[in-house]
Amino acid sequence: MKKRVKQTVACAAIVAMSASLVACGNSSSKDESNGKVTLKFSFDQGVGEPTQKIVDEFNKSQDKIQVETVLLPQDANQVHDDFVNKLASEDTSVDVMGLDCIYVSEFASAGWLMDLTDKVETSNMLEGPVAGGTYDGKLVAAPWFTNSSVMFYRKDVLEQLNAEVPTTWEGWMELADKAVGTNGIEYGADFQAAQSEALVTNWVEYIWGNGGDVFDESGNPIVDSENNIEATQIMKDLVDKYAPAGITTYAETESEQVFKEGKCLFIRDWSGFWSSGQDEGSKVSGKIAATKLPTGPKGEESHTCLGGLDLVVNNAISDQKKDAAIEFISYMTSKETQKKMTLISSQPPVIKDVYTDEEILAEIPFYADFYDIIMTGKSRPLSPKYAKVSDAIQRNIHQALTGETDVKTALTALQSGLEELSKEK
Amino acid sequence: MKKKKFNSLERTESRTAWIMMAPALIVLAVVAVYPILRTFWLSFHQMQLTDPGSGYPFIGLKNYIDIFRDSRALESIGFTLKFTVTTVVFELLIGFTAALIMNKAFKGRGIVRAAILIPWAIPTSVSALMWKFIYNDQYGLFNDILYKLGVIDSYKAWLSTADGSFMALVITDIWKTAPYMALLILAGLQMISESLYESAKIDGANAVQRLLFVTLPNVKSTVMVALLFRTLDAFRVFDLVSVMTGGANKTESVSLYAYNNLMKFLDFGYGSAMAVMIFVIVFIISLLYMRAMGDQLSE
Repeated sequence: MKKRVKQTVACAAIVAMSASLVACGNSSSKDESNGKVTLKFSFDQGVGEPTQKIVDEFNKSQDKIQVETVLLPQDANQVHDDFVNKLASEDTSVDVMGLDCIYVSEFASAGWLMDLTDKVETSNMLEGPVAGGTYDGKLVAAPWFTNSSVMFYRKDVLEQLNAEVPTTWEGWMELADKAVGTNGIEYGADFQAAQSEALVTNWVEYIWGNGGDVFDESGNPIVDSENNIEATQIMKDLVDKYAPAGITTYAETESEQVFKEGKCLFIRDWSGFWSSGQDEGSKVSGKIAATKLPTGPKGEESHTCLGGLDLVVNNAISDQKKDAAIEFISYMTSKETQKKMTLISSQPPVIKDVYTDEEILAEIPFYADFYDIIMTGKSRPLSPKYAKVSDAIQRNIHQALTGETDVKTALTALQSGLEELSKEK
Repeated sequence: MKKKKFNSLERTESRTAWIMMAPALIVLAVVAVYPILRTFWLSFHQMQLTDPGSGYPFIGLKNYIDIFRDSRALESIGFTLKFTVTTVVFELLIGFTAALIMNKAFKGRGIVRAAILIPWAIPTSVSALMWKFIYNDQYGLFNDILYKLGVIDSYKAWLSTADGSFMALVITDIWKTAPYMALLILAGLQMISESLYESAKIDGANAVQRLLFVTLPNVKSTVMVALLFRTLDAFRVFDLVSVMTGGANKTESVSLYAYNNLMKFLDFGYGSAMAVMIFVIVFIISLLYMRAMGDQLSE
C-alpha cells in the first residue's frame, strides 16, 4: 500500500514537471472573460517607459483590444535573435513587434511579416522611413519613430575663427587645419569607424554625399565606382590625418566621450546627441550647433543615414488579431500619439507635421534645424541578405581605414563579395 | 522461493528508480540531447532561414566541404589555435608560479587566495568591457602606465591593429583565467604528502631537485586536468573577442564566426556545420589529453 502511494506520488511529480515544461511555451492569448482581443507587443526596453504610457492610454481609450508589452534587452542584436527564434518556429506568442529598420527586408523575404499596404496611413509620414518599410512594393513595416545622423560642430570655435559653416568635406578639412591647436581642439574630425554597424552608417553617408551608392536601381552592386573610391579615400584621410588615433575602434560611446571633452571640431552622431552631448559633465554645453552632413567633390546633395524602429505584425497570427494589430498601429502612428511620444521620449517622430508643431518646437527647438536634415534621410541598402551585406561592408571598409589594404583593393573585394551574394540563391 | 522474492524486489526497486529518474532524464533529453542531435541533423542540410522556399534540402557533407573552401573560416581557426596556445602556455606558467607561492605558509595566505580569484569571478563580458577601456587611446590606463615608464612616447590605439588586438586579447584572457589555473594546481600541490619532501630532504635533495623530482611528478595529473579545461575553454573563446574587437583586425574566433553564421546570417546549415566542427576539434583535444593522462595513470 505504501509503495503504491510512493509510485503515485512519483507519477504525479512527473506529470507536474512535464506540465510545467509545457506551460513555459504556452500562454493563453485571449482573455475569455470579457471577449477582448489581447495583443502582445514586444520591443527593446530603451523606449520602454514612454511606450508603456502610450500603450496604457490606448488600452483605456477603447474596450475591444488589450495590449500587453513584452520588454526585450536594449541591444539590437539580442532583439533580432529573439524575434528570429520566435518567427522561424511560427510561434504566436508575439503579435506586434518593434523592429529595427535594417531587418525589415530580411524578415519580409522570409514571409514572417504581414502585408500592411493600404491598411496603415503613410501619406503624412517622412518618405525615407516609409521607403525603408517597403519590400517588393508592399508596405510590410509601419515606421514608428526614426533617427538620423547630424553634423554637430563647435560653434564657439567657428565664431572665433570667423568661419562660415562648410558644406563640403574639403571645407571641413581646411577649417580643421586652422582649428586644431586653438580652444583645446586636438582633432579635426570625430565619427564612428569601429568594425560594427556604426561603420556602415558612417560610410554610406560618404558615398551618398559623393554621388555614389551600394546598389543601383535594379539591385546590382556598384561599390567600386569612381565616386565611391573617392568618397572612401576622403574617409580614410580623415582617419589618418584628422581623427583620434583610436577612431577605428570607436563606436558611438567612445566618439562621444572625446567630443564631450572638448577635443574635437565636429562629431557626426545620431540626433539624440543634441541633448546627451550637453548634459552635466559635458565640457561643450551651449557650444554645439547642428548642420547637414557635407558633400564630396562629385556630390550635389548630402544624405543622412536613417535608423529607428518600425512596427511589424507577425504573419502567423489569426485574422482577428491582425485586425486588432492594425488598429493598434494606426493609433501608434497617428499625429496625436506621435506628438505625445516625441514629448515624453525625445525620439524623432515619423509624421512630418509634428516637426513643425508649435508645442514641439517650444519644447525641442533643435527640431527646426533637424527637420531639414532628416528630410535628406536615406535607408541603408535594402536587402534580404542585409546581415551579410553589412558584414562585407564592415570588414572591407575597416581594412581600408586601418591601412591593411588600400582603398581601391578593398572596394574591389567588397564588389566581388556583394556580386557573389546577389548570385547565390 | 527466497531468490524469486529477492528478484521481484530488485525489479520493483529498479522500476521505481527509473520512475524517479525519469523527470531528470526527460529534462536532459529535451535540453541537451535534442539540441545536439538537431545540430548534427541541420549541418547536413541547406537551411537559410531567410529563404524558406528552398524546403531545406539534404545536401550531405557540402557544408563541411565549404568550411575548407572558406578562407574566413580557415583564418578563424588559425587565429583560435594561435590564441589557445599562447594563452594556455602563459596561464600555465603564471598559474603554476602563483600556486607554488600560495602553497607556502605565510601570513594572510587566506586573503591572498581569495583575492587572486576575483578576476575569475567577474563575468567575461564585464571584464572585457573593462579592459577595452583600459586599452582606450585617450584615457586608457595601459597607455598611461607605459607612457610614464617611458616604454612608449605617445598614446597608442592598441585595438586598432592586428598585433595590438591580439596582444590585448591575450593579456586580458591571462589576467582572467590564470587565477583559475593557479587554484586548480594549488589543489594538486596540497595533495602531496609532506613526508615526501621530508624524506627528499633527508636524502640531500636541494630545492630545485625537490621541485623537479617530487613536486612535478606528483602534480602532473592535476596540471593535465587544468590544461584540458583551459584548452577547451580557450578554443571556444567568444564573449571576450565579441566585446573587445567584434572580430576586427583578424581576431575573429571560430565560435564568433559560427555565431555570425547562425544568428546574424541565419545560415543554420553552415553555422551548425561549424558548431559540429568545433565540437569535433574539442573532442580530439580532449582525447589527446586523456591519452596523455591515461599513460600517466598506468605507469
